[in-house]
Formats: sequence, C-alpha cells, structure tokens
Amino acid sequence: MLAAFVLAVTVVMSLAPFFYVVSTSFKETKSLFSYPPHWIPDPVYFGNYVALFQKHPFGWWLGNTLAISAIVTGLKLVIDGMAAYALAKLDFTGKHAIVTALLVSVAVPLAALLIPLFLITRSMGLIDTRLALILPPLANPLGVFMIRAFIAGLPDELILSARMDGASELEILRRVVAPLIRPGLVVHATFIFAYQYTSFLWPLVAVRDLQKQVITVGISSLRAIFTVDWGLISAASLIAAAPLTVIFILFQQAFLQQSLAGALKE
Amino acid sequence: MEAATSPSHLTEEEHRRQRFWARARHNLTAYAFLAPILLFFLVFMALPVVWLFYLSFQHDGILAPARFAGLDNWRRTFSDALVLKCIGNTLYYCVLAIPTVFVLGMIVALSLQVVRRGAALLRIVIYFPTLQASLVVALIWTFMVHPDFGLLNLGIRALTGMRINFLGDPHFAMPTIAMIEVWKGLGFWAILFLSGLLALPKDLYQAAELDGAGPIRRFFSLTLPLMKPTFYFAVIFATIVNLQLFDSVFVLTDGGPVNSTATIAWYIYRSLFTFSDPGFGATLSFVLVILVVALTALQTWLLRERVR
Repeated sequence: MLAAFVLAVTVVMSLAPFFYVVSTSFKETKSLFSYPPHWIPDPVYFGNYVALFQKHPFGWWLGNTLAISAIVTGLKLVIDGMAAYALAKLDFTGKHAIVTALLVSVAVPLAALLIPLFLITRSMGLIDTRLALILPPLANPLGVFMIRAFIAGLPDELILSARMDGASELEILRRVVAPLIRPGLVVHATFIFAYQYTSFLWPLVAVRDLQKQVITVGISSLRAIFTVDWGLISAASLIAAAPLTVIFILFQQAFLQQSLAGALKE
Repeated sequence: MEAATSPSHLTEEEHRRQRFWARARHNLTAYAFLAPILLFFLVFMALPVVWLFYLSFQHDGILAPARFAGLDNWRRTFSDALVLKCIGNTLYYCVLAIPTVFVLGMIVALSLQVVRRGAALLRIVIYFPTLQASLVVALIWTFMVHPDFGLLNLGIRALTGMRINFLGDPHFAMPTIAMIEVWKGLGFWAILFLSGLLALPKDLYQAAELDGAGPIRRFFSLTLPLMKPTFYFAVIFATIVNLQLFDSVFVLTDGGPVNSTATIAWYIYRSLFTFSDPGFGATLSFVLVILVVALTALQTWLLRERVR
C-alpha cells in the first residue's frame, strides 16, 4: 500500500515535466505567458520543429552526436576488451602497476583535466574537429574494469584448452571469450553510448564551429541573451531525448543491470 | 644425482633460456593487448595530470605566450574569495544532493522490491529521467521553475497567489539545482540499490521474521548492514561525480545570482574561456583533484573498516 503510493508519486514526478515540455513544444513562445495556461496547445503549432531544421543546424547536431557516440562505443569495446582480457587472463610483468594506475585514475575528476586537455588537443591541431570529440574519451579506464569482471568470471580451463588447440590469444579473445561475455559487452556498450551522447563540457570547450557541434551544446546555443525561445528549446530537448529513449527501450535489460558496482569491488 | 635429473649443464642453460623467452613472449602479447588503452591513457589522462601541475606555475598561454609565474597562482587560489566560495558552494551542493538522493533512492528501491505487478514498466519509467543529458534535464526544469510559466510556480500561484523566483534568489538557487539533480539521479540510485536488495540472502530474512523482527527492525539491523558494500561504492561514485557539477549550473544560473551557484568546475571553465588564464584555472583544477582524491581516500578508509 505504502509502496504503491511511493511509486505512484515517483512516476508522476518523473513524467510530469516531460508532458509539460511536449505541450510547450507545440505552442508559440508568446502564448506561454498567458495565465491561466492552456494545457493542450490550441492551435497546435509545428513552427518550433520546422525552425530547428531550417534556421538552425539541428540536423548536423543530431547526426554528429549519433556518429561520434557510435564510433566511440565501437572503438572503446575493442580497446577495453583487449585490455580487460590481458588483465584478467594473461600473466605478465608489471600487471599490478598497470591495474593500480588505471584504478587510481578512476578517481581523477575529468572536469579538472579540462584545461590541459584543451591545450594538448590544441597543440595536436585537433581543436574544432570532430576527432577532438572522439579521441580523449577513449582514455576512460572505467570500462576496462567492467569487462575484466566479466572475463574473470570465465573458467581458466576454457582458455587453456583453446591454447592447447593452438589458438592465438587474439583468436581466443575473438572466438571464445567475446561470445561468452556478450551480455556484458552489451551493458558496456549501452553505458558508453549514453555517456557519450549526453556529454556536454568537453564538446563545449573543444569545438566552436556550430556545424561540427554535438546536440547538447547545440541546444544550449539556442538560448539568446534577452529573449529565450522556449518553444524552440522544448522541441529541441524532446528530439534530443528520442534516440536515447529508443536505445533504452531496446536494451533496457542492459541498462537496468547496473553491473558497475561489481566491477569496482576491489 | 644431478646428471640423472638433467642430462647436461647445457640443457639446464637451455631450459633457463627457454623460460626467459617464453616469459618475454607472454609479456609481449600482454602489452600488445594493452597498447591501445595505455596509449590513450598516457596522452589524454596521465599527461594532462602532469601538465596541470606544470601549468599551475605559469601565467597566460592562451592569448599571450606563457611565462613563469612562480607561486602566484597558488597564492591567488588561497586568497581569492571566489575560490573559497566555489569550494563552499560545491560542498554545500554535495551535502544537499547526495544524502537526499540516497534516502529517496532507497525508499523507491524498497517499494520496487515489494511490487509484483508492472515491476518492469515501473523500472523503465523511473529510470527515464536518469537517461537524459544533464543539459536537457536542466532545460526541462526551466519549465518547472520559471517565474512566469513554470509548472511548480503555476501551482504555487494557484494556491498562494505568489510566485517563487527559484533560480533568481541567492538562497533558493543552489537548493533548486540540487533538487533538479536529485530528480535526475533518483532512478539511477533506485535501480542500483534495488539490484543490491535483490542480491541479499533470503533465508536470513525468513529467520528474522520467525524471530519476530518487524519490517523496520529488519531494515535497520539486516538490510542496511548487508548493503554496506553497495553503499561503499555508491558514496564514492556519487562524491566523484557531484564534486564536478557543471552542466546544470552553466545552463540555469551561470554561477549566479551573486555567485551563489558558482562551483569549482564552473570557475575552471570560466578561468579558461572568460579570463583566458589557464595557469590559474589549472591551479584550481589541481585543488579539485586533491579534494576528490582526499575525500575518496577518506571514504575508502572509513567505509572499508566497517565493511569488513
């Protein structure tokens, strides 16, 4: 009974703002200020959605964000998968030092690296390119620990017998390990994609050219100094929320599994 | 005797050499696997940390060439009133937001654990705000707290005839931002705590129930102690993330009114792009690193003791 009440309140609180934004996105901004408010837009106004694509490079923002997020996710799966396999199942000199260095760096706040990252990226001539949005996120070590936890759970005999059959380590990773930890890889991929899709501070710093920009920074650039077009911004926020929502519904199991905690139990 | 175990000295030597080469081959394979992450890690993580330290002893470098500054930036960091204000604001925000989202998240998780029908759909709905970009969440909340058309203000106006300037009043601005971040984070922590709750041993609860322990007693003497490993991770992770508060501040208040929502990350950004002073910004960043690492270490030490 109490539980049902708590959940009902939470659901209403979680969704009410979205409904209000949907309603706002179909209104002309000037009609927002009438009191009492019109909950259902009358007439229904599509101008905000049209303006996004005609007056602003919104199509570019959406495309850039989806492409960059997909590329980072793909690269990160390969990079983290290889590192995680080495740390979980290979025996080598200096393993402890590398694990410690990567683990400590999880605690380094990325906001603090903003200035040196900007200067390093600038000296590489990458400022104002999409590459600047792809390369630095690849350094994030968190995923290595997540995948390592999945690989460590596999029995050693499996890998030993594949080695006996003459398989190289790369073949073992691709043919034996990767298929077995597929659910874990999906969890990892959804997290990286969502993280990348929602990133704001680094793109804000690294790219000035609006046509190369991602959706979060793009939307924030829609705010003018004196008059803010709220109808336009609500339409933009809703479209921005759509791709992640679709991915979330497709991979909800992965999102809700939250294996993050297990990966860092050291 | 020795001749029986190894036929000659030469093969003993060969054995050793073979072992050496086997070891070298193992190392080579392992480092080949690690090469990509190490490369990016060194360039975009380790190098920036070192560079941060180096930059903190410099002036300029954006518009004018860099020059040596000695301890200027460090002196300024500890005497600049805004720096202290930013550190204070950031900690104030953490104290408002983290305990609130943990308590509410735990309540929602406990409720989700009980519910039988529609549990899957409920989880999806509750996780929905967490999924959105902080920037989008901040903009969406403008529609809740705006003095003219904000949903919250429309409600308050209907009830009292007054309106609250949530983001324009220096007393309300930071609590409002904390409220927005709690709203966004609630789903994440609720689901994380729920997965912790579902992993707890059922038989202990049955035994406690047989012994006549009520639900509240069971929660405080069974659930909370058993959940310690989850909390341990949660506290550290939440601290690292929340000390870097930037997106919603940048969108909603840009540090104002009268610097009441200026956070450390916001000041770092401003020192680079408004004041073109990377040296000072780097010093401030270093303070943030020290703050995060110190708090993480303190929490690890405090909680590790009790987890065991």
